Amino acid sequence: MKHTDAVKQFIIDEFLPDVSVTELDSEYDLVHGGVIDSLGLLKTMAWLEDRFDLRADELDLDPNSFRSVDAISRFIEDAHRRRPESD
Amino acid sequence: MIRWNADQTALRQGIGRWCEALSAGDIERDAEGVFPQDQWKLIQESGILGLPFDERWGGLGQSLLTTMYVLEELGRGCRDGGLNFSVATHMVSSGVPLQRFGSQELKQRYLPGICSGETIGAHAITETESGSDALAMRTTATREHDDFVLRGSKSFVSNGPVAGLFVVYARTHPDGGPFGITAFAVERDTPGLVIGEPVAKMGLRTSPLSELHFDDCRIPASAVIGRVGSGFLVLDHVMKWEILCSFIINTGQMRYRLDRCVEYAKERIQFGKPIGSYQSVSNKIVDMRIGLDTARKWLYDTAARLMDGENVTTDIAVSKLLASESNLASALAAVQIFGGSGYLTEYGLEKDLRDAVAGPIYSGTSEIQRNRIASMLGL
Repeated sequence: MKHTDAVKQFIIDEFLPDVSVTELDSEYDLVHGGVIDSLGLLKTMAWLEDRFDLRADELDLDPNSFRSVDAISRFIEDAHRRRPESD
Repeated sequence: MIRWNADQTALRQGIGRWCEALSAGDIERDAEGVFPQDQWKLIQESGILGLPFDERWGGLGQSLLTTMYVLEELGRGCRDGGLNFSVATHMVSSGVPLQRFGSQELKQRYLPGICSGETIGAHAITETESGSDALAMRTTATREHDDFVLRGSKSFVSNGPVAGLFVVYARTHPDGGPFGITAFAVERDTPGLVIGEPVAKMGLRTSPLSELHFDDCRIPASAVIGRVGSGFLVLDHVMKWEILCSFIINTGQMRYRLDRCVEYAKERIQFGKPIGSYQSVSNKIVDMRIGLDTARKWLYDTAARLMDGENVTTDIAVSKLLASESNLASALAAVQIFGGSGYLTEYGLEKDLRDAVAGPIYSGTSEIQRNRIASMLGL
């Protein structure tokens, strides 16, 4: 997935400053692991909207879309597929 | 700066014509602390309740900005702050999440009643042990075949005693973090739902408040608003609307108060001069004006950006902080400027002050808004 590196870097920068890129598994459950709480989720959504030009009111609010680095990456790709003009 | 068009202006003037009747007897009603059923009927007739909802459900299909513009006039013209609060609560607590996230079935079932005001809406979020830390809620919704069963209690449910429909936020996953909460549409007469008696409070007394208790309250899975686990995201959307709609009403109230203080400061003579000629008074009024203008600009700018699909997490928090604290400061200044008269119930200003105290508390306290802004700054 083309956005995995960017997502992983964001998660580390914001929530896991002591973890290296290689240490964070892309399938690691960020919610169950306590990495993303409610404020973290809002921050992640804000970043997705700014960085990937996603409209807040068009985001599909499926909780599973935010569970892991891979899930977030898939979410970005899906959102762009639905709005090809934004790519 | 927003330039309002003729239709928007007409809608705003339209609600203005109802305000005298809506305000009549407001001080007596505040003393009694009861929901004004007769005034609610007028609110229904005015059509204001359907403003932001699709026309196919009986709404007026207006934008968030237009809705706010009309609500601001309600705040300026209607002196019953509790009624105004109930109007905003009704609109945003149930209609807004249903329109954005509800299934076709839920929209069809509830939105016509919400638009007309026949069904009064409320939402149940806060619990005794989880106020600011809303996600620590203990009320659970357990899946049993085709149903969910609600167990637990909610407190501080505005419109609770009079509502026909509740949007209830409950825990569907014990350790799901922000994804452990789900929103449900729950009808008043659902077996197992017990609605508490109205709770007495400092201000907003005509907007009734109660507790809710869920004693094995069984609701169909089709009552889920959005998806299972998306309750926090539904709530975040609702909170944005709640802040913008509730606090734009406050700016209308600030405008009313400002105009009244200016007039009084010109007429009231002390030591041979109008009290407005003394800087200690005029400066207070200038601060009221600055607070009003700042709050309005933030609220409307944030709404415009939200409509454009921008992320407004920080802006919403700033707007809420500014508007609620400016409204409280304005209400306090008005009482002080009117002196002994301001302290008297008959002048209506002490009631405004009691109402305004709630602003920095509900919809996320000022402390929580600052935490949110700090978090968005990376702190």
